[in-house]
Amino acid sequence: MPYREKTAWLSLIAMVVTFGPYFTIVAMRSVPGELPNLRQLGLFAVAAIAQMLILGIGHLYLRRGSAQDARTPPDERDRAITSRSISSAYYVLIFGMILVGCVMPFNSSGWSIINAALVMIVAAEVVHYGVVVLSYRRQA
Amino acid sequence: MMEGSISNRIRILRFHNGEMSQAELGQRIGVTRQTIAAIEAGKYSPSLEAAFRIAEVFNLPLEEVFQWDSKATRV
Repeated sequence: MPYREKTAWLSLIAMVVTFGPYFTIVAMRSVPGELPNLRQLGLFAVAAIAQMLILGIGHLYLRRGSAQDARTPPDERDRAITSRSISSAYYVLIFGMILVGCVMPFNSSGWSIINAALVMIVAAEVVHYGVVVLSYRRQA
Repeated sequence: MMEGSISNRIRILRFHNGEMSQAELGQRIGVTRQTIAAIEAGKYSPSLEAAFRIAEVFNLPLEEVFQWDSKATRV
């Protein structure tokens, strides 16, 4: 498996295991809309720190396992896959930002808007890494 | 849109050139071993520059390494 596919899997898994539970908890409890709501902020901080830790440790582990591959610069196929994945994620992100920035302010406020923005950012990242993984799998 | 696919003889050419490994060929043209494997399997079409570089490694014209089959469709 190429090193870049491994790092894409890592990012995908880190995103799912940290922000998956975060959004599940947010969906199950009604979050008071007013800011700052430190409890909600704390929950977000836990998810973000957990993601950073998983990514940091995961990258260190992958680098130790394939140091040569990690140092190799991306080739034309890697660049084509990156370009395709970023293009796909861009559409998700732009749709989300229109929804969050132009529609939601008329009927929502506070944490509802923040969480909606987070959902769209996470969705765009999942699409980004998902397309990378799928592209490498198809060409393997 | 016209359908077709690019086939290649890289695997057999590697064999005839001292059983050159995919990693060695990749190193010589500046791509990874996995990219060479994908090209050989017909799952990735290389850029024109990479195709010329591969042909140069085997000291052959491009059309003796890569062939265009206008009837075939890519799986």
